[in-house]
Amino acid sequence: MPQHASPSRRPSLLARLLFGAAMAGALLPAWAADLRIGLSSDVTSLDPHFVNIAPNIAFSDHVFDTLVKSDASGKLVPGLAESWRALSPTTWEFKLRQGVVFSDGTPLTAEDVVFSLDRPATIKNSPGPFTSYTKQIVRKEAIDAHTVHLHTASAYGPLPLDLISIYVVSKKAAENAGTEDFNSGKALIGTGPFKFAAFRKGESIEITRNERYWGAKPEWDKVVFRILASDAPRLSALLAGDVDVIENVPAADLARLKTNPQVTLAQHTTWRTLFWQLDQFRDQSPFVTGKDGKPLDKNPLKDLRVRQAISKAINRQALVERTLEGLAEPASNINAPGIFGYNAQIPVEAYDPEGAKKLLAEAGYPDGFSLTIHGTNNRYINDDQVVQTVAQFLNRIGIRTRVDTQPVATYFGKARAHEYSFALLGWGSLATDFTLRSIVGTIDPDTGWGSWNWGKYSNPKVDELVAGALAAVEPAERERLAREAASVALGDLAVIPSHHQLATWGLRKGFAYDGRIDEFTFAHEIRSAR
Amino acid sequence: MTAAAAAFTPAAGGWRALARAYADSPLALAGLALLMVIVAAALAAPWIAPQDPYDLSQLDIMDSRLPPGSASADGSLHYLLGTDGQGRDMLSAILYGLRISVAVGFSATLLALALGMSLGLVAGYAGGRLDAFVMRAVDIQMSFPAILTAMILLALFGQGTDKIVIALVASQWAYYARTTRGAALVEGRREYIEAARLLGLSTPRILFRHLLPNCLPPLIVVAALQVAAAIALEATLSFLGLGLPVTEPSLGLLIANGFQYLYSGRYWMSVFPGVALLLAIVALNLVADRLREILNPRLQSQ
Repeated sequence: MPQHASPSRRPSLLARLLFGAAMAGALLPAWAADLRIGLSSDVTSLDPHFVNIAPNIAFSDHVFDTLVKSDASGKLVPGLAESWRALSPTTWEFKLRQGVVFSDGTPLTAEDVVFSLDRPATIKNSPGPFTSYTKQIVRKEAIDAHTVHLHTASAYGPLPLDLISIYVVSKKAAENAGTEDFNSGKALIGTGPFKFAAFRKGESIEITRNERYWGAKPEWDKVVFRILASDAPRLSALLAGDVDVIENVPAADLARLKTNPQVTLAQHTTWRTLFWQLDQFRDQSPFVTGKDGKPLDKNPLKDLRVRQAISKAINRQALVERTLEGLAEPASNINAPGIFGYNAQIPVEAYDPEGAKKLLAEAGYPDGFSLTIHGTNNRYINDDQVVQTVAQFLNRIGIRTRVDTQPVATYFGKARAHEYSFALLGWGSLATDFTLRSIVGTIDPDTGWGSWNWGKYSNPKVDELVAGALAAVEPAERERLAREAASVALGDLAVIPSHHQLATWGLRKGFAYDGRIDEFTFAHEIRSAR
Repeated sequence: MTAAAAAFTPAAGGWRALARAYADSPLALAGLALLMVIVAAALAAPWIAPQDPYDLSQLDIMDSRLPPGSASADGSLHYLLGTDGQGRDMLSAILYGLRISVAVGFSATLLALALGMSLGLVAGYAGGRLDAFVMRAVDIQMSFPAILTAMILLALFGQGTDKIVIALVASQWAYYARTTRGAALVEGRREYIEAARLLGLSTPRILFRHLLPNCLPPLIVVAALQVAAAIALEATLSFLGLGLPVTEPSLGLLIANGFQYLYSGRYWMSVFPGVALLLAIVALNLVADRLREILNPRLQSQ
């Protein structure tokens, strides 16, 4: 749901001429066809297969292409592959686009694709390898110059989705190249909309338009990314006109920016959905007691009626409007709207404190109980405030709630060790079956199922549906199973959905961007709004 | 320096002289009055605050970020100094925050004083290995910045008022130990201690009844300054998110919470607690400075 905060107004020709004459034309950035972007996190390496972190991926997309792309709303669209299909449950055929050339003039062939799919496994000492996206492929075949067959060990539906993360590099340029050759630009030869120009690590990256690009060419002759990790300097750079676009506008400054005529804001729902994980495996949960501080004889969070009461007690509308200052939308699902497998049939739980109290009484807690809820204080938008507000809501239905928020570095360790009773997590993924496998799948360290299932929820029916979805190579069938799995898990309130975060970009007047669900800032999707 | 100040020694029972000397400075008197108002407001917070800012069921998120002078959504309250991001009345939060600051500041100072003073006294009187041991511990302690020591301890112990006090005591006891030892070394060589020893008095009696009272003047000065330092340190720790739970904001945390709204013009969330903190520390420093002027023999001789 792209929301554009500013309609672009076209000034009269006369006004433009007068203004242009007055300003000598030099101060109007769009005329120069250069674009300067302030990024909020550092790009650590230009090697597209070195480490799987968002800032690096965001850069790679400017210079390289993937076989399959995801559009701004998270839908899969053709990239270097113009089509793909499953020939059998374990064999996929990808047809490459004709006439694509690398920026050095060499044509793209199936050999480059096979090389690129092999390369992640050859990278040594990667702090976050891309092999999680390639390990399902047991054999790769270049059938002809424009056809690739990929074989998996067992039926694996999400293969095209995995491939949106593997950038195709030139075999000729990268065959004997190490990560440092990418950082120097020597091996940085791709088919993407831009070409590499300069890289100063921790400071800036420059790219220029790739005139050989196969798709719609970007408007910008030259793009400069500046790394501005701290909120205040990034915002100041935008206001001072040092950059044209910034990502991650600080939430607290939105009110001020909205009244600034020099700046427009672009917002987009992101894939990051926040929800509460509840201890559903212990009979005595560590942070649940009676109001007298004594342990309860059983864990109330195991009772569906208590979980329903908690869900009804949360005023999601007030939460997103007040605590999050409009930077989120109420959630009913574990994934954002538009994500593969999103179940629009599940309504957002209505705020109903009276109904909540009734359910608590029915479950045997007419006077409530005591609970400490946990969350981060430096990871999500206003996260420590969100935790406090939810504590407010729970207090109002009689659950005496205390709050403990921690930096993410200590928090995730403890949460993943199942130390908490009621804890906040934000999760982003482009497919519901993926999310369900990690968050509510029965824990199995060998297969990676339930790796982020803090509450140890376990339901064989959900496991079966998720496994079915992951093995379905027919997209419609896979989506149906994923939706059903989501509806079973959320019917149980395996987790309590809270909200979907919005991402905000700040643009100087004259620039336009629709935003993206994956929060990436793509220069090739930024336009001039004149 | 006035004659009254020069004449003061606690051993001679000169508390009244001290009061008279203190009253010579109108600025110091104003500081003392301000300090008493702040302490009284802090102590009376539960009775004079319009709202219990730590009771989450009294807060309403719909009242969040209201400017000073707004009324609450249900009309039951008037937020004189506005509200914070959770709908907490700033005036109540500041009163309760002062309460924490005052309680933490004074209790940490008293505990650190008791600990440091005893160690310093024993070290200075006994000398030898014990003295060397205690003083090396002091050196090590003082080579760490106080904020670093406190941060390490809080990271280990977790949140809570008691843990803040422990962290503050751990980072401040050394000042008292060093000051007391210095005074004890000087006083320990005087004739009256010699006389007490010859009379066969017990060591604890000599230490606490004879030696200690004469070491007090510099300690009073250090303690008065350290209360302000302890309050500032607590605010710093809370500002960094290491102090008290977020639902029980002290002044430092209130400032930190409001800080992000400064750019957007919602100044009241961080400026008012900042002013309260400033007043408390200025008042304490005025009092401490005056005490230093009166009690420091070097300043007196000028």
